[in-house]
Amino acid sequence: MSDATLLNAVLWLPIAGVLGIALLPRGSDAGTRALSFAVVAAQLALTAWLFVRFDGAVPGLQFETRIPWIHAWGVEYRIGLDGFNVLLVALTTFLGPLVVAGTVTAVRRDVELFHAMLLLIQFAMLGALLAQDLFLFYVFWEAMLIPMFLIIGIWGGERRIYATLKFVLYTAFGSILMLAALIYLVYSLPRTGGPPSFAFEDLYRSTLPAGVQNWLFAAFALSFAIKVPIVPLHTWLPDAHVEAPTAGSVILAGVLLKMGTYGFMKLGIPLFPVAARYFTPAIMALAVISILYGACLALVQTDIKKIIAYSSISHLGYVMLGLVSASLLGIQGAIIQMVSHGLVAGGLFLMVGMVYERCHTRELSDYGGLARLLPVYSVFFMILTLASVGLPTTSGFTGEFMVLMGAFDAAWPQFQHGHVAPLVLSASAVLGVVLGAWYMLWFAQRFLFGAAHAPHQPLADLGRRERLILAAIVVAVFAIGLYPQPLLRKTELAARQYQEFLLGDRTAEARP
Amino acid sequence: MSWQAVLMAMLPEHLLLGGIVALLALEIASVRARGAFTLALFATTAAAIAALWLHATGYTAAPFPDHYVVTPAASLAKFVLLALAVPVILLSRDDFSDSRYFALLLSSLYGACLLTSSASFQTLFLGLEIMSLPVYALVLLGFQRPESAEAALKYLVLGGTATATFLLGASFLYGASGTLSIAAFAAALGATDPIATTGAALVVAALFLKAAVVPLHAWAPDAYETASVPVTGYMATVVKAAVLLTALRLFGSAPVVQPVTALVAILPLASMVWGNLAAIRQLSFRRMIAYSSIAHAGYLYFAFLGAGAGRYQAIMFYLAAYGVMTLLAFTALPSGADDAAHDRLQSFEGLFHRRPYAALAIALAMLSLAGLPPLPGFIAKFLIFRNVLAAGHTMLAVLGLVASYLGLYFYLRVIQFMFMQGAAPGAVEDGSRRLAWVAGAVCLIPAIVIAIVPGWLLDRL
Repeated sequence: MSDATLLNAVLWLPIAGVLGIALLPRGSDAGTRALSFAVVAAQLALTAWLFVRFDGAVPGLQFETRIPWIHAWGVEYRIGLDGFNVLLVALTTFLGPLVVAGTVTAVRRDVELFHAMLLLIQFAMLGALLAQDLFLFYVFWEAMLIPMFLIIGIWGGERRIYATLKFVLYTAFGSILMLAALIYLVYSLPRTGGPPSFAFEDLYRSTLPAGVQNWLFAAFALSFAIKVPIVPLHTWLPDAHVEAPTAGSVILAGVLLKMGTYGFMKLGIPLFPVAARYFTPAIMALAVISILYGACLALVQTDIKKIIAYSSISHLGYVMLGLVSASLLGIQGAIIQMVSHGLVAGGLFLMVGMVYERCHTRELSDYGGLARLLPVYSVFFMILTLASVGLPTTSGFTGEFMVLMGAFDAAWPQFQHGHVAPLVLSASAVLGVVLGAWYMLWFAQRFLFGAAHAPHQPLADLGRRERLILAAIVVAVFAIGLYPQPLLRKTELAARQYQEFLLGDRTAEARP
Repeated sequence: MSWQAVLMAMLPEHLLLGGIVALLALEIASVRARGAFTLALFATTAAAIAALWLHATGYTAAPFPDHYVVTPAASLAKFVLLALAVPVILLSRDDFSDSRYFALLLSSLYGACLLTSSASFQTLFLGLEIMSLPVYALVLLGFQRPESAEAALKYLVLGGTATATFLLGASFLYGASGTLSIAAFAAALGATDPIATTGAALVVAALFLKAAVVPLHAWAPDAYETASVPVTGYMATVVKAAVLLTALRLFGSAPVVQPVTALVAILPLASMVWGNLAAIRQLSFRRMIAYSSIAHAGYLYFAFLGAGAGRYQAIMFYLAAYGVMTLLAFTALPSGADDAAHDRLQSFEGLFHRRPYAALAIALAMLSLAGLPPLPGFIAKFLIFRNVLAAGHTMLAVLGLVASYLGLYFYLRVIQFMFMQGAAPGAVEDGSRRLAWVAGAVCLIPAIVIAIVPGWLLDRL
């Protein structure tokens, strides 16, 4: 089989899985779990193969499939891997088996529907990442909503219905404006007869007047910013995270939020470079506000899931900062930070889920001294905490350090030209690292150390299944922290291409 | 025109007519059997196949020149209407066993078919009335609730108003142009003559009333709620589609200009906003669907802002997608003696655990009506708004999309009831209609096809 076929297999396996679940006799929970795990494991294996085969030195798409879909409109089914999506596709398929394995004891109700939804959201997320056609992208982008709506709404906590409706109504509002902008964009382009094209590569070549670009960018950016989320559009996130079942939180933090930053990187900024430059200061300011505000809010939470939820807002602020820094280092740092946050926050949510299954409370004050009660658990938790803080040798350090370096890199020449704001913002972002260490370490201290008490003692420490899940994450975290070169090599060309979009004709504008 | 040609051109209508006559004969002979159902199903299916055949062979004829013409487009419209009636008839089996019901239904369909082929205001008027009059009776026929009588009367009075408005408009157009051909309408759109414009506006208003566009929508919630399930399904899909197809025949592909633009922009927009907002507060499923259909009438009329072939494509696709998905929801509705209790949204609580397939079917229908991809409703919505944007009405398109966003909540709420909540204590026992799964398949299969390969359908429009 060709590699392109394998990539299609990665995308469509979940649909086969859903059909398989539908064919299983009613009530066969074990079969459903085994089938789902087999599907996501196969996806991971195929992706690992493709990841190794992916050549970072080749520009453009690899393993491409291109079939006309809606001929009359010029819409194509077009998927492929490139430097932009390769890491996120790997991250998505890496987290898949961990999520399925992590729900064995957590979800006992409507198991078939739950796994069908997990597979469907996996399908939609991979589709949105792989799509190279704007219409196809939008279809997948919206298709992510419904499985998550059900996952939070059916298997969530006490206020699940409020949380899930808030999540859907927030994200759908962004999408509806994006739809308007999408239609406007495609049909406003000059055409040489025949149907219009929705292909990204054709749309990148569009040269709309600045005024129009600003409006369209605003519509796209709003949709992506809600997903990221950037302060002040973040209020859905803590509710969704707190009420979601563990699997939902892991998917949200692990991949779904990255869809927003990926959207900026792949679409928002490259499609509307002039507008992107116009809005860069605003985005940069909001990114830094997200970093600081998220960190401050994480500091005062008493619900352990909320601490990690707010820390996500803060960490994704770094990604946004790196993306608009326009320095290669910062952009690559942003990409690494996306993967790192997916692993670390995903891992932390899994761990919170594990302790919740044992104690049935998320109140931080109910806990203390878990280091003595659950030693193995505490070791893993400490490692992930330190990765979240950004300790050198962990992936968190690589990402944040590169982003901050990149931000300074970009801010310094501007400072020399008399623009103080970028430098001030970059310096404030450093403060976020300090705040990050403060809230995470303080959290770990109250959670793991101190007087040993937890509800429902005695507690069983992690079982083999749980240890394997966490070991996989920890290995990946250290691998990226110690030797990020392979990842950087695979994404460098894409980062350069993106940088060119962002810098664009800045040199041309400067010329008389 | 030779009689063979008349026979051939009006084959779908003749098959329906044959069915009606046979049903009336059954009624007179008072044979109480399942015969009526089988006969109606057979006649409608045969008529649908005949219409599809006429479309596929590209049959074009004018058996009654200037009054009744058959074109491939008209045959396709007939096919859509007749095909949508098939699941309605399948659903009717449990609720109605007498031949009167089916005779009325087929008569109404006959009128709908006449509409799609009409070329003059006389035929148009005949079609509109033949279609509407039986429906007033159908609303009343089940008589499952005392409110049915009130709703039917309301519908009758407002429907009569629409008829009067339509006639007044037609006479104005006749006065301005001296012809009763429907081409006078399209010509009046671009005219500066106030009489012609008034005539066009009156005709549009009548069509708004028939399709339940705000502020002429008040009859719909009552009629939808109190009619029986199949009749509501019929009104929401076939009747609405027939009215829109009539509008499509009148407008053709002519561009709309002021002041008609304002008419087809503002009232449909108000319809979307009000339909979607009012639906949120409903406690009864069919009443909610009535408001939803008011909003959908808004989207459909919005398509008239764009001119050219895109308008035809958008409306036909939308009617097909909206029709099959609405009927899919109706096929999954619980049935039972206490109609009002079954219709309460509260009785949907925990439906997934009682009847998972029904809940999934309703959920799919709701998501499609909300216009979420990858369901057919999304592509239909995309077509409409693409058209509006292409015609240069950017602001209206954005407002319309935001209005469609308002509708998301109440569709999701149905899913919330079915999947996320346990059954309320003392919930009513629900069963499904005997042929519901057949009707469901009739709706679901085309829905899947147009979701996966929408291009296939678009190329044929």
